Formats: sequence, C-alpha cells, structure tokens
Amino acid sequence: MGCSKKVAYNSRQVKLMTGLLLLLPGLIVLFPVQAWALQTHGAPEGIIVHQMAHVFYFGALVYLFWDLRRTMSQGRGWKFLQIFCLLMMLWNILAFVGHQTHLIMDAADFSHEFGYLSSMMLGPFSATKLINYFARLDHLILVPALIFLFLSLRSIYRSTAEGEDS
Amino acid sequence: MTTLPLFPAIFTDMAGSVLVIVLTVLSLRYAYLLTRREPDNFLWGFLFYFCVTLTVFAISRAMGHLVKQVLLIGGHGDVWHGLAPFSGGLNTLLMISLSAVIVFYHKGVEGYQAIRAKALSLKDANAQLNEAADQLRKMNLHLEERVEARTAELSDSEKKFRHFFTNSMDMVYFCNAENRLVNMNRSGLEMLGYPVDDPPPLGLVDLFLHEEELDHYFDSMLKDGFIRDQEVEFVKADGSVLYVHVSANGVFDESGKFTGCEGIAKDLTRVKLMMGQLAGSEKMASVGQMAAGVAHEINTPLGVILGYAQLMMDDFDSDTEERQNLEVIERQTKACRKIVADLLKFSRQSESAREQLSLNEVIGDVMAVTEHTLNMNHITVHRDLEPDLPLVIGDAEKLRQVLVNFINNAHHAMEESGGGDLYLETRTLPASNEVAVMVRDTGHGIPEKIRAQIFDPFFTTKSVGKGTGLGLSVSYGIIQEHGGRIEVVSPAMKDLIDEQSPGTAFHVYLPIHAEENSDVIKD
Repeated sequence: MGCSKKVAYNSRQVKLMTGLLLLLPGLIVLFPVQAWALQTHGAPEGIIVHQMAHVFYFGALVYLFWDLRRTMSQGRGWKFLQIFCLLMMLWNILAFVGHQTHLIMDAADFSHEFGYLSSMMLGPFSATKLINYFARLDHLILVPALIFLFLSLRSIYRSTAEGEDS
Repeated sequence: MTTLPLFPAIFTDMAGSVLVIVLTVLSLRYAYLLTRREPDNFLWGFLFYFCVTLTVFAISRAMGHLVKQVLLIGGHGDVWHGLAPFSGGLNTLLMISLSAVIVFYHKGVEGYQAIRAKALSLKDANAQLNEAADQLRKMNLHLEERVEARTAELSDSEKKFRHFFTNSMDMVYFCNAENRLVNMNRSGLEMLGYPVDDPPPLGLVDLFLHEEELDHYFDSMLKDGFIRDQEVEFVKADGSVLYVHVSANGVFDESGKFTGCEGIAKDLTRVKLMMGQLAGSEKMASVGQMAAGVAHEINTPLGVILGYAQLMMDDFDSDTEERQNLEVIERQTKACRKIVADLLKFSRQSESAREQLSLNEVIGDVMAVTEHTLNMNHITVHRDLEPDLPLVIGDAEKLRQVLVNFINNAHHAMEESGGGDLYLETRTLPASNEVAVMVRDTGHGIPEKIRAQIFDPFFTTKSVGKGTGLGLSVSYGIIQEHGGRIEVVSPAMKDLIDEQSPGTAFHVYLPIHAEENSDVIKD
C-alpha cells in the first residue's frame, strides 16, 4: 500500500521556497545559452520531403491496388484502374530513382554548349547516368498510366448506365 | 557513344505534360459525370475527389515542367531556379494530398461499402420480410376465408342442433361431472313442471324417484359409457310422477375421466295410461262375457223359481205364514233378477233404444230426482252446463242410470264428511268431436291401490247390503255400448288438494252425432 508520509512546513520555509522560484527566471535571463527554439530547414530537406512524398504516394497506390484487387474484381473499368495503379507505382519508383540519381550527378555530367535543346549527357555512362536518363523519360509511363485512368473512368461511367459495374 | 542527347527527354517531358493535363481533365470529366449520375454513391465521390486532386497535381506538375522547359529553352535558367522550389514544393504538397485522398477517402469507401453491404443486406431482409408479409397476408386472407367458411358451417350446425334442442318434444339434458344439470330444453322443464325462464338448480338425484334406478343409471354410465331405453320414474315439481324412457351417453375427456353426460328422456305417462286402459278394457271385456254367461244361466232358474213361488202364493191365504214366506221368496227372486238384469246391461246383452238426446237434459232429469236428497245431506250442487251442447246418440234411460250411479257414489263419498260440493259440467271437445260430462265431488277420493278395480263387477267399498258393486261396472258397460269412454281422476283437483277431501271426478266422453235426426233407432 503506497501510503505517503506527509511533511509539515512552517511559514518561513514556504516563504523561502517561493522566493527561490521567483528568482529562477531572472537567473536564466542573466546567463543565456543556445536555445534551439525554432527548427531550421536546410537545403536537402526539400528533396527529402519530396522523396518521402513519393514513398507515401507509392504506399497509397499499393493500398489502393490491393484493395481494388480485393473488392473490385468484377468489371473492366476496375481492371483498368488496377493497371493505372501499377503503372503509377512504377512511375513513382522511376521518379524516386530519378531524383536520387540526380543528387549523385553534377553539372559536369551535362553539356549545354550548343543551347538547351542541344544539351547532352556526357559519358562515360554509368548505371546512375543511364538510369537518370531513362528517368527523364518518365512520361512514357505516366501518360499510359493516365490513359488507363481515363479508360477506367469512362468504362465505369458507361457500365453504370448498363448497371454492371456499380 | 560518349554522349546522349537530352532532346528526347525534353520533348517527352513537354509533350507528356500536355497529355497528362488532357488525360487527367478527361478523367475528371467522367468522374464528375459519375457523381452527377449517382450523387449519393460514395464510391463515385471518391473517384471524383481522387481525380480532382490528381488533376490539380498533374496540372501543377505539368505546368511546372512546361514552364521549366520554356524558361530553359529561352535561356532564363535563373528565373526557373527562382521558381523551382515553389513548383517542387507545390508538387510535393499535392502529391502528399493525393496520397492522403487515396488512403483516407478510400477508407471512407470501405466504410461506405460496409454500410452499403449492410443496407443491401437490410434491403434483402426487408424484401424477404415483405415477401413473407405478403405470403402471410395471402395466408391470412385464405385463413380468413377458411375461418369464415368454417364459422358458417359451425353456425349452421349450431343452429341445427339448437333448433333440435329447443324444439324437441322430448326432454334433452346435459349434466356435468357431478351429475348436476347444466342445461335442459324447454320441453324437459315443461314435462317436469319447472319454470322455463328461471329453472332452479337441479341434479339427477332430484329427478329420479327411485334410488335404485339412479344407481343403475350411474353404474351403466360409468361401466358402459351409455344407457339405453331405461324406464324410470321422475319426480315432477309438484311431486307427481313422470314416467320416462331415458337414453344417455357419458362424456369423457382424453384421459378417460367422466366429465358429464347428455341424455334424452321421452314421456311415457300417456303411453302408460293407455296401456293401463287397454289392459282394463280387455279385463272388463272378459268379465262382461263371463257375467253375460252367468246371467243367462241364472236367469232361467230364477224365472222358474219366481213362477212357482207366485203360483204357490195363490194356494195360501194372505195372513198365513206360508204366504208370507212365499212373498219373501218372490221379493228376493226379483232382487236376483234385478242383479242379473244389471249384469246383462254391463255385458251389453240387454236391449236399448237409441235416439238423439241432449246430455244437459239427461242431467236435468237425474237432478230432478236426486237433488232433493243431496240437499238434505248438505251437498251443494254446482252446474256448469254448456248451453248449446251438441246432441249425442244414446239410450236416455241407460245414460240416466250412469249419472245416477256417479251421483250416488259421490253422495256416498261425501256422506262421511257431512256434506260437500257436487260439480256437474258439460262441454264440447271439438278436437276429438266429443261431448264431455264431468261429475266431481269433494269426497274422500279413491285410494290409488283400488283405482284399477273400481269398474270390476261386484267390487265395492260399501258395507254389506248397501251396494252390489255393479253400479260402476254397469256404467262402464253402458258407456262402452255408446261408443264412449270413462276416465277417473282422483284426487280430482291437483291445485286445490285437500287431504281430507281430495275428491273424485268422473269424466264421460261420448261422440257427437253429426246428423240432426230425432228418429228413434231401435236396436
């Protein structure tokens, strides 16, 4: 049984403790140190947040794909939506990897000598460079993914008129 | 290969960005149309918000890429470097938002689907319930029809049996397990003389006159479960006896326990009376034949004795003892012949004249002779004669003799009590086409044990020498000869029973003669 023993203080002791408590803020102001009251955001934070967003987006697409597979197996529109999820997951991976390779590479890997449209990726080509190059073509995955999204919604919309997919 | 051109990437980026915008907008359109078609569908709502977020993200990203490419192509890389963090930040923000919409909204879809599944389940249950209710309603409708039909059948049956119960001329009764009467029809109560509207509580023990008959009834009921054609005597409300023929069935429950009985009792009183009358008639007929034979046999020697006695009387003087003895013989012989003549009258062997006559006149003739004597003995005569009494065919002399016999018997019955009342009544019975004459006294009545013997020849209650016992026998024979009948009721007045003077009533019924013909008909 946790019975605590009460300690009785007299009025003098109480007054002393009150005085010490009032003195503490004054001592803190008189002797300042580095407080770290506000967190700063350095340069890498943007790309990290963006990459985390890609991971989050990827995770959300995985969940959506899994749930669609689980609950929406009937109907062509839902199949298209699942393909959209797969392609978007792939796009996320590609974008994520593209961003990562971009961090590794530097300005010396590119040549803008003949203008922007004539820009070149300079060799020798490592895997990082090649992956980065292909990552720049991410629309080749993103556009088909959105085509499937479009087909999916159109199919679902049409099928609701026939009362099949809803 | 030492270099790779970035132009394909730039071109793909720009063209792809445009296509991305176009495709997301087109997708958004269909998602919007879906929500318009079914605004309450949560799934379409999810698709719509997903497409909205995706479209915003795609436009932001695509526009960022296009601006980037345009600025870089235009040589404004420094401008793009200034815009890039904002574009990238916005894209990041929108991508996170898109992810959130996917996760959270889709969770909502799950919830919606769960609710929808429940709703569908409820809808199915409701449909099944409606179907069941419909079936129940149909069954109920059918049941109502069946109940109505069955009720009508039961009503008809109840009416039929109620009609039988109420209008049966026989007694119908129902008893409970304690053999108390729970129901008895009107005829039964009337037969027993109880009030129909408010009968008293009765049990079988109150009805049966003889205990042994009741025991037999109970024994048969418990042993056989029924009783058939048992002749019993019931006690009526006024204490008189009702002869009945009882048939009854026991009622038993599933466990075989006796719960009551239901029975029918037929009134046999009239049958008993008729049987008694028939037996009496047969007896009187045989007695009459015997009397006729005896009278014929005795009449001849009596004639010879009377003849010789009268011849011998001529041989002696009137004051001689022989003459006086012969006169006694003559007188007694004549008395014997009178008896023989009465016997012949009883046996209808004597001659009689027949004519149309009024019984009122016959009564008047008789009373002219007898009323004085009656009055002398404190007997008051009350007449209630129907004025227009129909005529009957008969022998006036013989009918007078019948009435004299009845009046003499009444006189004798009231003599002991020092007087009384004599009631004479005539009336017409149209139903039986008869004329009735009643002679009723307030005398001591006729004991039940001798009631069956009063018409026997030579039966008399008078002391020796006061009567021959042929009066009622002769009267019976005369009325039989006239095609009529005699009924005796004693005590005569049930409602005015006086134990000291119960009285006796003789009822004579004679057929009415239809033809108005006063010609004398000789036998």
